[in-house]
Amino acid sequence: MKAAFPYIGYHSIALKDFLTALGAKVCLPPPLTKRTLELGVKYSPEMVCLPFKITLGNFIEALEIGADTLFMATGARKCRFGYYSYLQEKILKELGYQFKFYSVSQYSPYEFVFEKMPQIFNVSPLKVLKALYLMIKKSELCENFKNSLRVIRAIDYQKSLIFEKEYLKKIEGVKKIKEINILNKELKELRKKWLKNNGIKLRVGLVGEIYFLLEDFANQELEKELSKFGVLVLSKRSLYSRLKHLLKMEPGFLKIYYYARKYLSVSPGGEALNTIGEAVNFIKKGVDGIIHIFPFTCMPENIALHSLEKISEDYNVPILSLSFDEHTSKTGLLTRIEAFLELLKRRKK
Amino acid sequence: MKKRIGIIRALLYYRYGNFFINFFKYLGINYLISPETNKELIDLGVKNSSSEVCLPLKIACGHLLYLKDKVDYLFIPKIIYPYEKLYTCPKMMGLPTIAWYFCGKKKIISPTIKRNFFLPLFFLGLKFKKNPFKIISAYLKAKEKKENKKLSFDNEKLKVAILSHFYNIYNKEIEDILIGTFKKEGFSVYLKDDLDEKILRKKDGFAKNIRWAFERELYNAFKYYSDKVDGICFFFSFACGPDSLIGEMMAKEAKEKKIPFLTIIFDEHSGKEGMITRIEAFCEMIKKKKSL
Repeated sequence: MKAAFPYIGYHSIALKDFLTALGAKVCLPPPLTKRTLELGVKYSPEMVCLPFKITLGNFIEALEIGADTLFMATGARKCRFGYYSYLQEKILKELGYQFKFYSVSQYSPYEFVFEKMPQIFNVSPLKVLKALYLMIKKSELCENFKNSLRVIRAIDYQKSLIFEKEYLKKIEGVKKIKEINILNKELKELRKKWLKNNGIKLRVGLVGEIYFLLEDFANQELEKELSKFGVLVLSKRSLYSRLKHLLKMEPGFLKIYYYARKYLSVSPGGEALNTIGEAVNFIKKGVDGIIHIFPFTCMPENIALHSLEKISEDYNVPILSLSFDEHTSKTGLLTRIEAFLELLKRRKK
Repeated sequence: MKKRIGIIRALLYYRYGNFFINFFKYLGINYLISPETNKELIDLGVKNSSSEVCLPLKIACGHLLYLKDKVDYLFIPKIIYPYEKLYTCPKMMGLPTIAWYFCGKKKIISPTIKRNFFLPLFFLGLKFKKNPFKIISAYLKAKEKKENKKLSFDNEKLKVAILSHFYNIYNKEIEDILIGTFKKEGFSVYLKDDLDEKILRKKDGFAKNIRWAFERELYNAFKYYSDKVDGICFFFSFACGPDSLIGEMMAKEAKEKKIPFLTIIFDEHSGKEGMITRIEAFCEMIKKKKSL
């Protein structure tokens, strides 16, 4: 079995290890490029949101290099994400590829561990649990790595490039829980040490749709660009927190839920609730501004947009909303960020 | 002075409006319904809402702003599950939230409806009237009787099915353009809502996986009509999330079954003439295909 799944930023490493631990050979598609996007756009319906297009392009490129089993997550089917897999499977079959397609539901962990995975990989549920534990640990490591990277990027961009290369290799290499724990500690300490540095000029909270927060290609390397201006980017969303949330082990969510309920009469699906709760949480912690990113025509985030306007008024904190589609140009994006950061700097004075 | 409740003539009004109006009428509550959608209301909505939402929601925002100062309360139900465990759509669920920011939290009455219509409306009634029996009787009177719809096909004429959401199509202007043009070309037109509930709520095939109530209805209507009519026209608004996915699914299936399938996307900028030209060309194509 040559398994493939769409990239989700650094967290792909955790997913890769999960599948490897179950005995699959993982056939990762080439890194996301303009070609991926073009392929995706070519075969997708025109009105669908950008994550659909990018992940479809990802699948096509994976199939081109010989993958035969595809994995895709599905959601609660309140928003479009839940239906990606049905249409993607249909489109790929029409293109003439031979493959097996498994859509993995996020909301049935029991079925996932005891029925679905053992059936697909022909292993015992115990092994699935072990692999799941490894994935959770690994995703925690990825989160810590990303958090540290954000700090060092804001302080010294050149140094961060070396740090990124060095630690990515280390993270990919470790396979045992003990080694992961050691590395986790190391990364946390590094972050603490760097945070004492005075080089950080501004702190900006990043909220929005999860794929756009995790995948740097989708958000046009927004985080990198921000940190080139000496901005520390804060973001809570990661695969680790998502997994914890799904397994109902995330106490911090209650706080976010409480904050969000004031501004949202009912959860409109997707991550609108997290977006709003996290935005309020960041503001209470004292960030200078909030950047909200989402794909063009995203339904839940557009509802959240109205709430964020109100939050911005209530707390007197600037919020920049950016929507992305395949035509978004990087230059335009940079201009908007620069203007926003200028505004934040002036307010700080 | 008696307090007055405002009801917007947009989105779910076209489905549950009569029921809610009758409920208020029998209960003796003063109500005001916003007028039929016109250009002014559309402009008002487009100006004040996010630029990325669909036109029906923008229109709803226009209605909200129109009613804002004319009534004491605005009635915007939060319908999460209209029936079974099927969602409406993120935007319809988000409308009360948007209304908060347009009119203030205190002005909005939005009972949460999850399949059960009675209890939320009962508590709403208690706010205005003290007699619980009166509320119950008003509810029972307002409840519409279910009719079994039977559809008969006219085999002499060419047949076309127009698939669209109720809030897109029950609008005079759109009705004139869409249904009028097809009728002018000599077609008999069938709508989604002509079908019986039993057909619309079927749970087989791909329909089982659709958890948007109104999308499932559209898909079932498509399945039912697909081997009975000569052409299908799917009409949806720009930036409508659910339709963009399910529409593509239908288009792909129509291609497999070789039925002519026309997709028309509209927004506040679409011109009437362009739509009519496309429909006429589509009709011409069906006629040619039939005469071969």
